[in-house]
Amino acid sequence: MAITTQERPQRWDQPFGLFMTDQDVDRLLTIPEISAIEENKFPAHCSLKGILKNDARIVKYSAGDIVIREGDYGNSAFLVLDGSLKVVLFPGLPGEMLGRRTIRKKTLWQAFKQLWTQRKTPEVRDVKSQNQYSLVRATEALGTSHVFLQDVPAILDRNKTASLGKGALFGELAALGRTPRTSTIFAETDTELLEIRWQGLREFRKYDQGWRRLIDQRYRANALNAHLRATSIFSHLNDEDLQEVADATLFETYGKFDWHLTYNKLQTQEKNLGIKDEPIIAQQGDYSDGILLVRTGFARVSIDRGNGQQTLTYLGTGDFYGADEIFRAWQGDSNVGLRVTITALGYAEMLRVPSKIVEKHLFAYWSSGREGFRKRSLQSSVESRRMQDFIDRTLTDGALLEWAVEERFVNGTQAMLINMDRCVRCDDCVRACSAAHDGNPRFIRHGKTFENWMVANACMHCADPVCMIGCPTGAIHRSMSGGMVIINDDTCIGCETCANSCPYSNIRMVSIRDDVGNFITDPQNQKPILKATKCDLCADQISGPACVFACPHDAMRRVDFRETELDENTTGF
Amino acid sequence: MKIQQGFSLVRIWRYVGLASLLFLVTWQWTIQIDRSLGVSAFASGWVLFGVLAFLSLFSIRKRLPFMPLAPSAIWFMLHTIGGFLALFLFWLHTDALGSKGFYGQVLTVLFYITSISGVIGLFMEKVIPRQLTCSGVEIIYERIPAEIAGIREEVESLILKCTEEIGTSTLAEHYLETLSWYFQKPRFFLNNVFGGHLSQHWVRQQCMILERFLSEKEREYLDKVYMLAEKKRKIDFHYALQSLLKTWLLVHIPMAAAVTAMVIWHLILIMVFFV
Repeated sequence: MAITTQERPQRWDQPFGLFMTDQDVDRLLTIPEISAIEENKFPAHCSLKGILKNDARIVKYSAGDIVIREGDYGNSAFLVLDGSLKVVLFPGLPGEMLGRRTIRKKTLWQAFKQLWTQRKTPEVRDVKSQNQYSLVRATEALGTSHVFLQDVPAILDRNKTASLGKGALFGELAALGRTPRTSTIFAETDTELLEIRWQGLREFRKYDQGWRRLIDQRYRANALNAHLRATSIFSHLNDEDLQEVADATLFETYGKFDWHLTYNKLQTQEKNLGIKDEPIIAQQGDYSDGILLVRTGFARVSIDRGNGQQTLTYLGTGDFYGADEIFRAWQGDSNVGLRVTITALGYAEMLRVPSKIVEKHLFAYWSSGREGFRKRSLQSSVESRRMQDFIDRTLTDGALLEWAVEERFVNGTQAMLINMDRCVRCDDCVRACSAAHDGNPRFIRHGKTFENWMVANACMHCADPVCMIGCPTGAIHRSMSGGMVIINDDTCIGCETCANSCPYSNIRMVSIRDDVGNFITDPQNQKPILKATKCDLCADQISGPACVFACPHDAMRRVDFRETELDENTTGF
Repeated sequence: MKIQQGFSLVRIWRYVGLASLLFLVTWQWTIQIDRSLGVSAFASGWVLFGVLAFLSLFSIRKRLPFMPLAPSAIWFMLHTIGGFLALFLFWLHTDALGSKGFYGQVLTVLFYITSISGVIGLFMEKVIPRQLTCSGVEIIYERIPAEIAGIREEVESLILKCTEEIGTSTLAEHYLETLSWYFQKPRFFLNNVFGGHLSQHWVRQQCMILERFLSEKEREYLDKVYMLAEKKRKIDFHYALQSLLKTWLLVHIPMAAAVTAMVIWHLILIMVFFV
């Protein structure tokens, strides 16, 4: 029998920049920010030259091009090689200028008019208005485009800005922390940048002390205090004490940043294998050495049960765990091992506040007659959220959540959950969706099922929207009003990045047509123009999500699994 | 946050109470009119017409999902309660179970068909979804023919492979003679509607008949065919029950439209000739 062989896939089989040459790398090694890196600290399999050649690329922006947009998710940081850029300070640029979709609710009359203005042909677009509204321009690099600002001097007049010049590094916190970009940066002059994807950035931080110090300092200065301040248990601290807590806090990352790429593979694995493969953040029975705070991502909270692990709940951004255990230990309780195991669900970035600092700033405060504060501040913590109830729950009671965690539906903030015991399969929801989107349904009443529950193929408006990573024009973005993930049809270039990234296959590419029903094609290659489409929660409809509104049997809900306890009414109506 | 699906009993009973109150008030009103030697049918007739008009609004509401007209679920509940109210008002209006005269009798028949189809539909909508869920598969109705075609292709390629690999045609012949009928389209419709197991029994029987003529290797293929037949059985089950869920409306809605049209004509006649 013939044996099929294949060369083992390597990390850098697909470099970030297709056109990076050895000369480019040599040039980069001469710039101060890179030459300061101690090359010998990098292991052979992950050399500095290798990182520069494969995890970085040189990109050029013309004056006015937006490099990063406020609110975008990105997985790379930028180092300015040449030219100058402007950072738009608070309150930032209006959404339309950034190529965002402006949501305007329909008036009652406009809503009613949809009854007869709906088109019979699918996916019709007004070509004229699309061309008029062109904020996108192609770049030298094949297949990439940039959104640009049309009147830079006016923007500079109207907005407060800061300058970034040669040698400035930006975008690294959002890239490593998977958090939205906090401001918009555009090229003031023609600019050359070194774009480093997060994998390379991670190695820089790991092997080079200078970069590590720089990145950590920036995080401590810009984001950590705000995170701690927003955590209920530290809300009583003054600035000085909070700074002490921040200085002592440790950063930890678990799992794969791009977990969505391996998600589908994971689905074919045996159920229990999934948990066993997850990186352990804290192990049941171990002594807790600090409070764990989730900075980004998700963590599974499970407990040993028989031969496997039973998922009790999960932690998301802003959640914390461990305060109760350390507090009991501090009070002299002998049985103070962690009651649960915490593992990274895909990817999790954690903050660990060491026990010593917790004892000093938290327990001393709690024990000085602030029992009420302790209870209040722990209310947002999963451990006080009936952790014992979670543990006491039967396998059947917890099965739905277990499934939701397994399938990563917990990522959704607006998952379309259908109770199939109530659903009469009438498709009124699909028709309503279609009616609210000019005759084009934006979801499929089909999806993964568990018992009588189905999570339909509709955008879940994820807490960790991996679809937004890599959108070259920022067409897919989170709405500032409402927080839903929406696509600006005008700036979508049909590159399919979002559709390929969505782990749940909830984004569909469609070929658009003109008024008479002909496909709109690219004059250069005659291929149809594609647009990404998905559920937008009927953002512009006055009635809200038409699907839920149209279900006569109340079988459908848009849910956040974190906040949901399903309780079916038995009346039948 | 707890997800409360459906309406609480208190809320339902509140609407039922309101409907009952409307009926009682109408009833008392007609009694008063009768006592004063008036024509009470006018009063009950107008109320009945109002209720029927309200019932038909549900259909219009469905066509306007983008209008803020209260969730469809509330409309459905009110439509159901209103349907029962209409039945009682109809009996009050006609003073009996039916009406006199040809026109009235046709109207009565149509009204009863609408009402009965509504009650049957309601019953089915409360019972069938659970049965479909229990089947263990979920399939969109419109995709059923494609799904069956896919299964058929899979079965036929299995049988061809068996013939090529083993060199005997026993399985292929049996498929052509009997099993192919089963895989052509949805079968055992009525039996599936009534929850019978005839389909399963038939396939098992056909496989058992064949089994003793097959070699060990051929049996492996037969097992795979049987698995696919099982899958198709579940799809057939969905087809039968989903068809029921869709087709009862094909009776209810046209009948309701006919009733509405006849009621309007009835009203015009009354206004022209009796008032």
